Amino acid sequence: MSNTDENKLPHGEPEIDELTNDRYLGGHEYDGIRELDNKLPAWWLYLFYITIIFALVYLVGYHLAEWWPLQDDEYNNELAAAAVVEKKAPVEAFDFESMAPMVAEADLAAGKETYDKICVTCHGKAGEGLVGPNFTDMYWIHGDSTNNKISIKEMYNVVINGVIEKGMISYKDQLSPVQIQQVLSFIITLQGTNPPNAKAPQGRKYDTFG
Amino acid sequence: MELQKFYYDNKIVKMFAYATLFWGIVGMLVGVLVAIQLVYPSFNFNFAFTTFGRVRPVHTNAIIFAFVGNGIFTGYYYSIQRLLKTSMASKWMTYTHFWGWQSIIVLAAVTLLAGYTTGKEYAELEWPIDILIAIIWVIFGWNMMWTMLKRRVKHIYVAIWFYIATFVTVAVLHIGNSIEIPWSFLKSYPVYAGVQDALVQWWYGHNAVAFFLTTPYLGLMYYFMPKAANRPVYSYKLSIVHFWALIFLYIWAGPHHLLYQSVPNWAQSLGTVFSIMLIAPSWGGMINGLLTLRGAWDKVREDPVLKFFVVAVTAYGMSTFEGPMLSLKNINAISHFTNWTVGHVHIGALGWNGFLTFGMVYWLFPRMFSTKLYSVKLANLHFWMGTLAMLFYSIPLYWAGWTEASMFKQFNDAGELVYPNFLQVVEQIMPMYMMRIFGGTLYFLGAILMVYNIAKTVKAGSFVAMEAAEAPALVKEGSMKEGEGFHRFLERKPIRFMILAIIAILIGGLVEVVPTYLIKSNIPTISSVKPYTPLELQGRDIYIKEGCYNCHSQMIRPFRSETERYGEYSKAGEYVYDHPFQWGSKRTGPDLWREGVKTSRNYKPDAWHYNHFMDPQKMNATSIMPKYSWLADYEIDINSTPAKIRVMQTLGVPYPEGYDKIANDDLKAQAEKIAAGLKEQGINVESNKQVIALIAYIQRLGTDITNSTETADNK
Ligand code: HEM
Ligand code: HEM
Repeated sequence: MSNTDENKLPHGEPEIDELTNDRYLGGHEYDGIRELDNKLPAWWLYLFYITIIFALVYLVGYHLAEWWPLQDDEYNNELAAAAVVEKKAPVEAFDFESMAPMVAEADLAAGKETYDKICVTCHGKAGEGLVGPNFTDMYWIHGDSTNNKISIKEMYNVVINGVIEKGMISYKDQLSPVQIQQVLSFIITLQGTNPPNAKAPQGRKYDTFG
Repeated sequence: MELQKFYYDNKIVKMFAYATLFWGIVGMLVGVLVAIQLVYPSFNFNFAFTTFGRVRPVHTNAIIFAFVGNGIFTGYYYSIQRLLKTSMASKWMTYTHFWGWQSIIVLAAVTLLAGYTTGKEYAELEWPIDILIAIIWVIFGWNMMWTMLKRRVKHIYVAIWFYIATFVTVAVLHIGNSIEIPWSFLKSYPVYAGVQDALVQWWYGHNAVAFFLTTPYLGLMYYFMPKAANRPVYSYKLSIVHFWALIFLYIWAGPHHLLYQSVPNWAQSLGTVFSIMLIAPSWGGMINGLLTLRGAWDKVREDPVLKFFVVAVTAYGMSTFEGPMLSLKNINAISHFTNWTVGHVHIGALGWNGFLTFGMVYWLFPRMFSTKLYSVKLANLHFWMGTLAMLFYSIPLYWAGWTEASMFKQFNDAGELVYPNFLQVVEQIMPMYMMRIFGGTLYFLGAILMVYNIAKTVKAGSFVAMEAAEAPALVKEGSMKEGEGFHRFLERKPIRFMILAIIAILIGGLVEVVPTYLIKSNIPTISSVKPYTPLELQGRDIYIKEGCYNCHSQMIRPFRSETERYGEYSKAGEYVYDHPFQWGSKRTGPDLWREGVKTSRNYKPDAWHYNHFMDPQKMNATSIMPKYSWLADYEIDINSTPAKIRVMQTLGVPYPEGYDKIANDDLKAQAEKIAAGLKEQGINVESNKQVIALIAYIQRLGTDITNSTETADNK
């Protein structure tokens, strides 16, 4: 049944499919599967052409005519645009010498936000200490040893400089001075909270903040 | 003409069909497990071989090579005998193919769970299995071509064109991507490194999709769709054009997996434009499938087989439109590394491959067992469950992908990331991961229903192992005849057809791969980039073994949102000693490429890493990373160090002459230093444990080009 000769349709006339009125191809029969002699759909062909044109324009535009930036330039443009925006951001007033713990609700809330974003990984959710030391006791490692007060300025220097040999990085590029002041003020409020799993004291005991 | 009698071998079809069902169930069940692990990390069970990083490759390999692979061979052996009116040329080849393929699958499952992996997606299997695959594949193809020479039908049908393309291309891809040098019985390093490895890997990876998940299934579609609908194929001319266009164009598109990454711009652009040009050729297949149903749509309403086929072909059309869209740079900037890709994958996988297989199985079994399907109702139920499952699987993942991208990229007015903490995003997409579990489970249950239905059908029927048929012998005709047309001529010359198909796929492959052999000159060398120390090398192998690349990338793209989050973007020259590359394709966790840079916001001390590996949830309660506590128990395999160094030297990594003999001294010294540092932090772990090597590797990541700043900081 399948070996009807190729180009001769039965009686020289094309056989027509009753349901669609399309022409069958003679000799195209494989295990009962037949094939119709339809042309490529025009919309399909145009779609194909359009994608080919797209491809050519794309290659020319990026690589020959250089109409559009490639990734390194794109990145530099993005940075430049961001720099413009950032410059517009107001610079907050900050004076190191007169720095003291803040008490305003909003500052402490901002401080907690920074804490939860950054410090929590090493110092624990409740300041109980993990890889880094415990913030809820009065023992501090980086204080002035001649005096019984631990000052927020001493804590500030730790955040600015980092303690890289112990694994704490410097945050001077990530946090603004005010943000550091806020997070330190928040940490000070954790004093005496006695969280579970508190880490053993490290450093020297101080009496008060000052 | 005298009729010859012969038999169609249904037994091989039945065996492959059973294997398809079995591995399909296994693969989907494992899929559900990994989906659960992403929500409930306790389902990693705290055993090395049940952690996500090892189980996910089992899912992908089981589904692709076992479920889809056996599905291909089921339909292939059924159709090719009938399309060529002959039995298979070689019985032993046929059955060796079956048993060889099943043993590859079993070996794959065991070795992957045991942690023997190359660390390259979809090509994870190690060198002895690679060799076995090559042998079995050649047996399959040889048998196919030989059978064609013994055929009783003058021309080869379009389904067979696709089988031929599958055979030759998969062989080329598999061999090309698996060139590796062993350093032990089960482990090797690939000859390619960094950028070159990435280009070869995705040349392979994309075309594994194209020539394993797509072309053979188009072949199946061309046979089973017209058979099941009892309608003619819409257009022979379209078959020709879309077949050649598809196989020629597909092979070029691999670099769309590497957009905005450290590969040359020209390669990326080729990936994009060839993907766009694939829309029409792909849709040619969809059109020829759907329009074949013209005049039979009333049947579609009743016949579950046709329903499965219609959804399969539609899903094919959808993913071959979505794929090219994902290849556009600005869309890929959003989608890459997110769950969007996973959504795309599963529209293709669940819809196209899954549904076509299901339809084919429902069609085949009643015929081979000369009976009726046990329950059309259950098959319909399966259809609706599967369709719903796809929606529950994919919609949440698109939503998740979109959420991830927008959260990762959002800046506030002060120019800071709004969500600097990776976990903030992970927490946000948990509900979507949950819905995916539901979708996946539904899909799995549907498949169970099918197995039940088939088992009942088998019980009720009687199997015809050898189906008798007859046809006249083929009268050989030589050269091209007047008015025959070149393609029609080619269709009766299968060997020539195969050679042309090889040429078509080699062109794109060569254009893309040859320059990568010369790529050393394409990559700006960076003098401060040095080979890994022996301890770091061992740590890197642990990273690969545990499959960390399944969740973490090592590729920072040049976007402000990424450099702000992770640090300086990746440079091609940084990866020249990475055999294999470990850039990853999905960020379930954060990028790690600048993890070791002490000025980066992600830097963490050794002690943090130690605690984190032991129990990530202790460090971050909402983390979904598995625990790796055994790393503190297992020792580093230092006996392997000399062999590893020697293989690296062969591959051109500039360790000094004779370094293999003294490498372990350096290894021990570095390990002791790390262990001593941990001790100071109150952590007691011996210096010969695996966790030490892994920490050394992590702390090395991305540091080479920032060395100068680091020394400044260390003062
Ligand atoms: C019960 C059904 C299924 C479930 C629950 C499921 C689940 C999953 C999960 C959870 C992942 C990991 C995604 C991630 O890392 O974020 C995955 C990946 C994958 N699955 Fe499935 N899957 C199922 C069926 C299938 C099928 C039928 C196929 C193929 C025919 C398939 C092919 C893949 C592939 C290729 C990947 C890797 C995706 C990538 O690298 O982007 N899956 N699947
Ligand atoms: C013309 C057709 C297609 C094109 C151009 C295409 C393109 C793409 C692109 C751009 C990606 C994302 C790469 C990334 O950002 O990492 C991708 C991923 C993927 N696609 Fe497609 N796709 C097509 C069709 C399909 C089909 C039909 C299937 C399945 C049957 C499929 C399976 C996959 C898989 C498994 C991945 C994930 C690879 C990974 O990252 O692990 N694709 N595809």
